[in-house]
Amino acid sequence: MGSIALRRLASALPVLLLVSLITFAMIHLIPGDPAAAIAGSSATPDQIAAIRHNLRLDQPLLVQLVHWYADLAHGNLGTSLLLGQPVLAATLARLPVTIALSLYALAITLLIGLGSGILAALRQNTWIDQAAMIFAMLGISVPNFYLGLLMIIFFSVDLGWLPTGGYVPFTHDPLGWLATSTMPAVSLALLLAGLLARITRSTMLEVLRQDYIRTARAKGLSGSRIVLRHALANAMIPITTVVGIIVSLLISGSVVTESLFSIPGIGQLLTQAVLNRDYPMVQGALLIVTALLVLVNIGIDVLYAALDPRVRYDGG
Amino acid sequence: MKPVSSRRASLAPFGLAASFALAMGALTPGSAQAAPFKCPHVGGDFVFGQEANVNSLDQMTSSAISTRNIALNIFEELMTRDSNNHPILDLADSMTESPDHLTYTFKLRKGVKFQNGQKMTSADVVASFNRYKKVGLARSMLVNVDHWDAPDADTFVIHMKKAQPTFITQLSSFSVPIVIIPASEENDPPQQLKPIGTGPWQVEQFVPGSFVKLKRYAGYTPNTHFDNRTGYGGYKQACFNTVTFRIVTEPGARVAGLQTGELQGVEDVPTKSVAALKKDKNIDLLPLKNWWIQITYPNLSAPPTDNLDFRKAVQAVLNMSDIMDAASDGSYSLNVGFQYPNQPTYTDAGKSTYNLHNAALAKKYLAASGYKGQPVVLLTDKDYAPMYNAALVMQSQLQAIGINAQLKVTDWPTSIQISMHDPKAWNFFFSGWGTQPAIGPIDTMAFLAPPDAVNLPKDGKYDPALVAAWNGMNDKPTEAERQASFAAMQKIVLDKVYAIPFGSLTKVQAVRSNVKGFVPARIPRMSNVWFAN
Repeated sequence: MGSIALRRLASALPVLLLVSLITFAMIHLIPGDPAAAIAGSSATPDQIAAIRHNLRLDQPLLVQLVHWYADLAHGNLGTSLLLGQPVLAATLARLPVTIALSLYALAITLLIGLGSGILAALRQNTWIDQAAMIFAMLGISVPNFYLGLLMIIFFSVDLGWLPTGGYVPFTHDPLGWLATSTMPAVSLALLLAGLLARITRSTMLEVLRQDYIRTARAKGLSGSRIVLRHALANAMIPITTVVGIIVSLLISGSVVTESLFSIPGIGQLLTQAVLNRDYPMVQGALLIVTALLVLVNIGIDVLYAALDPRVRYDGG
Repeated sequence: MKPVSSRRASLAPFGLAASFALAMGALTPGSAQAAPFKCPHVGGDFVFGQEANVNSLDQMTSSAISTRNIALNIFEELMTRDSNNHPILDLADSMTESPDHLTYTFKLRKGVKFQNGQKMTSADVVASFNRYKKVGLARSMLVNVDHWDAPDADTFVIHMKKAQPTFITQLSSFSVPIVIIPASEENDPPQQLKPIGTGPWQVEQFVPGSFVKLKRYAGYTPNTHFDNRTGYGGYKQACFNTVTFRIVTEPGARVAGLQTGELQGVEDVPTKSVAALKKDKNIDLLPLKNWWIQITYPNLSAPPTDNLDFRKAVQAVLNMSDIMDAASDGSYSLNVGFQYPNQPTYTDAGKSTYNLHNAALAKKYLAASGYKGQPVVLLTDKDYAPMYNAALVMQSQLQAIGINAQLKVTDWPTSIQISMHDPKAWNFFFSGWGTQPAIGPIDTMAFLAPPDAVNLPKDGKYDPALVAAWNGMNDKPTEAERQASFAAMQKIVLDKVYAIPFGSLTKVQAVRSNVKGFVPARIPRMSNVWFAN
């Protein structure tokens, strides 16, 4: 498994390089003036020109690219045009917030998605199956932004149970973190739980029809042992693939959720950076997020090998 | 140069420095006569929901309203504006203008300390002006300044190359003010100024994208020439322990926060929520009229908007009520001018061109222009809903008289870039002018004047009549003459359709009903505001 991880890591380097180049090209190709964004709607052309000069945006694009790669080679991702602070520091300050929120949302997703998917498969064509799938469809259909707003009105304004927004770091106050993160995590998770429930249900149904499950039943094994030991273990390979995708979707989905709930995570940072054409921040933060997602995918690959010996024997 | 004392002395708003100085020679506010403001209650954390992100607190290099909202509670200037928009002294104890108008001498208030505990001296003022000259966004205001110096620790002198009657007006502007910082920060790079000022609030914590927490500065020295807060200056006291500016970009979440009491104030209530909030006895709605002038301006370099008859056709057909209704969700007032009606500098010169919605007249002008149905591009954005909505309604009104109006919708940074650098790509650009009209006519009309008019005069050639009026606004020796020049320029702009103001948009601020002393303003003032219990 170690060699699989190493091979994956080596193949990730060109990916990161390519991503950095594509990001640089895309952010500079889209029209828009960072100086105008920073200056705001009432700024005069004179003020906008002054910002452009201050931020050295009047230099040729190629010069900016060379500088960026030269800095990158020294581990320097540049300085945010908007925040005026190092990109690496700003990104690393936000990353734990998004990771904590994503993990919380992932836990909810797994709990609801796996639970309802397994239950629906075991009780196929019953009201439980119907209810679980209706719930899954609702989760997939309702935009998390809208769901978040509804939750704010219901749980904050009407019931007064949870705060409307803001963020408390887990390390400062675990209960405060739980209070501020629950609605964002649930609004993020419900969409993906629906997706996971449907995948889990169909995979489980397929596995439950296999001969080895019939054999296990014939041997007189208990229902729970059949489900957990034989059915779920074999269904986990496709489910793990989906979970890998879900982790990526959680991080990209946090863009909207963090804005709605005023959470200072990487999603909000990137949104602001793109909207304001903060070139160094977009390039640097995306590179870090890409590296994170690459690591997650390597983790998934390693997990495959752990779950399925064939992956190890085939050499990954 | 005999100094004269006057309680709450202030200079009139539109470049009155010269006339005032000619008459008085100096500006030296006397001591306040009434008992100064005292906080009825001290304590608490006032959480204010701000609609836009704050990226930096470097007030010298940011013209963003979101920065100003917070920074002007931290920093102070030599001069600022009072509640009537008149220039007043802030960190300066007195200002004397020489008879030849070439020297301004500022005596500094004594005992003022920065939030790092260091005493403020003229060396800090010199350093602040040095940094501003290097990186300040409105450093062009210093173009007529020859140099400055500090003859002693309490005196700062500005020496002009030539007399500039409007200099003090510009110096007291709150758009991108020359805030006074410790001399040690002179070389801080743009956007990276350490937030150490002399104001009543100091930064406790700044988490970009989330919140900025200010705490009461215990060593604050109030301006005893006043007895209460006025405008952005006066006698200021911090009554809360802390003020938290929380960034809540989603309007629905802002309203919900206000309703639950998590936020005690917000800077923008969506018009659609106003009716519901009016019924809530725990919330006080505070409409701030004249937030910005909703406006469009034509591209004078591209056909068909380079043709005066065509522009007049557009002007003649527009129904401003319909446009403003859509732009503001019904929260607006009609306004022909480039100043707000509550300002002494307001003029309705050129009003005969405004809000005509006369299709017959428009068609007459259209025929005279020789318009052949070519596309007319309305360049707008969706970042600012009022701009997009105004463009949408204007498009339908133009189409009604046979103009092939087409919307080009981008985001704000893109649209502003296109408007400045791609003269063939648009015909009308949509904007909102808020801060500049609030500061005064010069800041506003600068948008349409040389050297960088936003409406792109053809081949860079400006209308001589407009240039003459603009020069008069800047150079005439008396206030009355400068105001007359402004009125003349406004009339020219409207007659020649160099810009089309639609009206003034109202913004609604709100606080919880236990918050007292909060008066809605362009920049929320956190001083002299307190909790009732």
